[in-house]
Amino acid sequence: MTVLILTSEQDVTADMVVAELHLRSVPVMRLDPADVPGKAVLSADYAHGDFDGHLSVNGHVLSMGGLRSVWVRRPGEPAAHASDSSSWLTAETRQALYGMLYSAPTRWMNHPRNADQARYKPWQLRIAHLSGFAVPPTVITTAPRVAQQFAEEYRDVVVKSASGPPPGDPASALPTTLIGPGADFSTVAAGPALLQRYVPKSADIRLTCVGPRLFGARKRSAPGQVDGRYGDTGYAWGTTAVPDRIAKSVQEYLALSGLAYAAFDFAEDEDGLWWFLECNQAGQFGFVELETGQPIAEAVALWLAGRTGERRVPESRG
Amino acid sequence: MRPFTLNYARPRVLPAVVTPYRYDSSMQLNVLPDGRPAVSDRELLLAAGTTTSTAGSQTHFDD
Ligand SMILES: Nc1ncnc2c1ncn2[C@@H]1O[C@H](COP(=O)(O)OP(=O)(O)O)[C@@H](O)[C@H]1O
Ligand SMILES: [Mg+2]
Repeated sequence: MTVLILTSEQDVTADMVVAELHLRSVPVMRLDPADVPGKAVLSADYAHGDFDGHLSVNGHVLSMGGLRSVWVRRPGEPAAHASDSSSWLTAETRQALYGMLYSAPTRWMNHPRNADQARYKPWQLRIAHLSGFAVPPTVITTAPRVAQQFAEEYRDVVVKSASGPPPGDPASALPTTLIGPGADFSTVAAGPALLQRYVPKSADIRLTCVGPRLFGARKRSAPGQVDGRYGDTGYAWGTTAVPDRIAKSVQEYLALSGLAYAAFDFAEDEDGLWWFLECNQAGQFGFVELETGQPIAEAVALWLAGRTGERRVPESRG
Repeated sequence: MRPFTLNYARPRVLPAVVTPYRYDSSMQLNVLPDGRPAVSDRELLLAAGTTTSTAGSQTHFDD
């Protein structure tokens, strides 16, 4: 039984998991959907009331009957590397590839259906409420007056993008930023603005969930710091224990969202309370593993191999 | 009219050059010029675009 990893070739974080699978002699196929059609070949047949399918790439072959699990890591767009690439060819190839994979009984980390849903930040906030997390007051609006009122009510307010920075412009970043006093909200009419009450924080928290296993990481914030990823404060990520209340809410969130993997961001306030900021369904973990030594890649490999404990236990070492 | 959120865009500090690595299709892993696996190079892992948190949200659909 083979693990299928959908990701780009240059994804070295996926290498960390492939190496763990090799160590355990678990068969693996690594495939970039961008390489279909072309370098990678697929066939699926539906005949006599039965189904089978095959994938091959670089001499590795996989039949759908032998598919153990699928890890959707950083896949390219189907057909992106094809010589005659087009949005139509991408749609056709997506049908062929994902239609075949959906036909096979297998476990997903994460199922694309759940992943698509889970990417919506406003939906995340609602699921976070229902799961019992503390969520900072937030508004997303195209009405300048609503934005203005929100900023007046909560005073210290941040703006962030819902979908990330503009994809076509690698030279530009869109960090979460405090809105100064006297901001002009008229251009909220030109695009939805996501505003949130600033959490005066003592630390950023990254909580990586692999099936039932929880890896808590904490990085101290400099006074007044907003986006923890920008500006070097000299603080590093370290392991932190996961409070029971949080572990319970995480369990609820994962059940409601159908996610097998998730990386939560929290802001820890001065009382030690963790405020939910977002949940990244395919969030990066390499930087956490390197800085804290937590064995996240191994946990992913064990989950994909089907050798995971069923107990949901926070991993708090040190 | 430029959407409000884009007023807060900033130039990105592009990651420093890292050791070149290439994909070994038989091992299905990236390797360094001397043949060692790329995952053995901690500096490369930290600097490579796919590993740090900011670079992740830059190049991919999820942070
Ligand atoms: N309400 C907030 N109060 C304080 N800091 C915040 C707040 N929202 C976000 N941040 C900081 O900005 C970072 C990025 O925000 P986040 O909500 O995780 O969005 P994304 O990672 O998708 O850009 C967080 O990790 C945190 O450091
Ligand atoms: Mg985040």
